[in-house]
Formats: sequence, structure tokens, C-alpha cells
Amino acid sequence: MEFMIILIKSAIIGALVGVGAGAGAARMFHAPTVQGMGAFRTLGELNACAGDAASHFSFGLGFFFNAWASSVGAGAFTQDVDHRIIPNWAAAVLLRKGKKPEETLHDPKKMGIAGGIIGVIIVVFLNSTASAIPESLQAIAVKVLVPAANLLINPVMPVIFWLAALDAGKRSGIWGTIFGGLAHIIMGNAVPGVVLGILIGKGVDDGGWTKITKNLLTAVILLFALSAFFRGFDINLIKSFHLDVPTWLINIHEMLGQEVK
Amino acid sequence: MSENINITNSEKNMKNFWYADWSFPIFVSLLSAGVFAGTHMYYVYHIGAFNDVAIVAMLQAGMEGAGYGAAAAFGASFLFARILEGSLVGILDIGGSIQTGLGIGVPALLLGAGITAPIESFVLSLLTGALLGIIIGYVIIGLRKFTVGRSNSTFGADIMMGAGNSSGRFLGPLIIISAASASIPVGIGSIIGAALFYAWKKPIAGGAILGAMILGAFFPIEL
Repeated sequence: MEFMIILIKSAIIGALVGVGAGAGAARMFHAPTVQGMGAFRTLGELNACAGDAASHFSFGLGFFFNAWASSVGAGAFTQDVDHRIIPNWAAAVLLRKGKKPEETLHDPKKMGIAGGIIGVIIVVFLNSTASAIPESLQAIAVKVLVPAANLLINPVMPVIFWLAALDAGKRSGIWGTIFGGLAHIIMGNAVPGVVLGILIGKGVDDGGWTKITKNLLTAVILLFALSAFFRGFDINLIKSFHLDVPTWLINIHEMLGQEVK
Repeated sequence: MSENINITNSEKNMKNFWYADWSFPIFVSLLSAGVFAGTHMYYVYHIGAFNDVAIVAMLQAGMEGAGYGAAAAFGASFLFARILEGSLVGILDIGGSIQTGLGIGVPALLLGAGITAPIESFVLSLLTGALLGIIIGYVIIGLRKFTVGRSNSTFGADIMMGAGNSSGRFLGPLIIISAASASIPVGIGSIIGAALFYAWKKPIAGGAILGAMILGAFFPIEL
């Protein structure tokens, strides 16, 4: 019974994702006039297959096996299902019998329909095979995966992003360091701060202090301030400098339904 | 779904719909509904999350009680950056915005706040995803009116993408280290799996997990 439910849910999910990813990919060929969605690398890879159905199919197939292994092992499809497999296989279906990419791959309607059908097949297949794996085996995968993921989240990823920020120029390095450090103190992980630091640093590098970059900086500061407040960071900060927490601040926190220790 | 097919059957005069700005939020909404429901599948059945192992593992860490902070902050910042970038360059990166931001970040935010209904219920997950997708789509179309042609910066998206890709590469060796610390047979399994995958030119993380699972089936580790 549960297996049937999984199949039905998977079919619905596959159809939704497939139509969105397929139509979005076709719209990319008309960007920036038309707003597309997918990724630059997806666009590049679709172009690289040069309208040849077999190339599109085999390109998708390589990533499909990887997605399959990842689904069976960890229940994770990989991002490639949306990025590579659906667009490329939809293209392969449409391009058979030597049709032109301009009339098929670049047409959001045709790609949307083909993507929807491919999406159903892929998601149902991946989920039904993955759910056939005994739970004890999945438990092992989780047991191995979680410690590895914890190491990745902290400290590996912060360091990689941080080094990328430092290598990306003076502004990214400075903003990345400031926001990265603050993010770790406030949110417990530096990655979001470093990412936002790169965003601001490169934005200013490329366009100067325009209205967009100023608004961006304001938004980031606001994000940090709100996040700090709702995590009770302001109170911890005052306490760790051995100062008394003002009653009005505690009152504001309590007014918003937060417990103050 | 069937509605879409009906529209397409009524010939090409609907062409505007497929290219227009106003229809963009609909496409984002479809994709978002599916991806968000994919996270529901992962939460309930441990299958079918639309993301890479490394990022899904962040959500898993939260589900195991380690806190949702990392997944929420990571996902939300990607969503933020990609929405901006998407409106600037005309291509929304669905990996960062929908799959990571909406599919991992938003569920982590909700679960962290103790709101489980939108992730536990299939129907609610579809509706939540669809609604948030519409909002994201409209924000991008709205931003486009201000940004298109005014800025030629990608706001360092290439740098973040590079860093994101290289952190994904770290996962393979980390899984082998983690498997090797779990038990000797599981460790050996993951080493063999990873080596075979490398020889077949596939990412070693998948091989390491499968190898660990196969040996773990014969020599269980205490959980």
C-alpha cells in the first residue's frame, strides 16, 4: 500500500518538476529578453550537444547512473535530475529523426511537455527502486553520511568559501571575512556570511556603490540584525561582556514570545 | 498537468503564454511544488530529495537533532543570492534557488521553528511549494523591471559556484573517512566502492556510500 502511495506521489512530483524544468530550460535560449530558469552550465551543455539526440541522451545517462546510486544510497536525487537529466533527455526525445533544435529544444511548450513525461518516468523509477532498499541498509548509509556531512558543513565548507572570497579580490575578502566571522558567531556557520560578503564585494567591484549594492548591504545588515535578535544573540552578547541586560530588552523579547534565560 | 497539455493541443496561438514574463511565476511554481514535495518524500520515506548528498545531509543532521540552523542559513542565503542574480542575468539558477533554497532552506527554517505540517503532509507540501514558487517568480519579474540593462555584474555568482563545486568534491573523501571510523568492514567497502567509481569516472561519493552499504549488510555496525 505504501509502495503505491509512493508511486502516485512520485508521478505527481515528476510531472510538476519536469514541466517546470523543461519549459524553463527552453526559455533560457531566449534570455535575457525572456526570463529563463536552469543554469548557465545547463545552457552550455545543451549547446555542446549540438542538436544531436544521441549526445543528449548519453550525456543525461551518465548523470542518471550517478543520481540512481545517490538515490539508493542516501535518498538524494542529486541536483542533476533537474539540471541535466530532464533537459537533456527531453531534448533527446524531441530531436529524434533529426529535427532542428530551434523548433524543438528552444520551444518552451514542447520542452515542457517532453520534460513532464520524462520527469514522471525518472522520479517514479528512482523513488521506487530506492524505496525497495531495506531500512537497515539505509540506516548504514545515514550512519556513514551524517558524520561526513557534519565535517563538510563545519569546518570544510566555510574554509573553502572563505578562501574563494579572499582570492576574489580585496573587497570580497574584507566583506567575506567580516560577515563570515559574524555569521559564525550569530548563526553558528560562516558560509552564509561569506556568500553574502562575496555578493557585496563583487557587486561593488563590478558596478560601484550603486543603488542596488547599497540596498543589498542594507538588506544583509538587516538580515543579520533580525537573525541575531531572534536567536537571542543580543542578550548573550551583553551577558558575555559581564554587563546587565536592560529590562526593556528582555521585555521586547518576551513580548514576541521568546524565553529569556 | 492535464491542463497544460490541453493548452498545448489548442495550437500555437498560445505562444505568448510560453514566453511571457507573467507566466514565469507559473513555471517557477510548478517546479517549486515538485521540489518541495520531494523534500516531503525525504522527510517521510527517506527518498526523493531533489539535491546533492552533501546538502540533503544538512537537513538529515537537523532531523537527527543536531539543529536546523546550518541548513536554514545555507539554503536561505543561496535563495537570496540566486533571486538577485536570476533577475540580473535572465536565467534563474534552479540549483541554488529552488533545490537548495526552497527545497532545503525553507523546510529547515520551518522545522527549526517547530512547524512540521507543510513537510509532513503531501498536499500541504505541494501547496506550500507552489505558493512560495509564485512569490519567488514575481519577485524576480519585479526585480527585472529595475535591474535589466542597468547592471552587468553577476555579484560573484561564478565564485560561489566554484566554491560550491569544490566543497562537493570534499564529500567523497570525507565519506570514506567517516565509514572507516564506523567499522573496519564498512570502511573497506567504502574504499573499494570509491576506487571502482573513480576508475569508472564517476564521483567517488556514490561509490563510497554503496560500498559501505553492501559490506554493512554482511557485517552490521551498531546503530
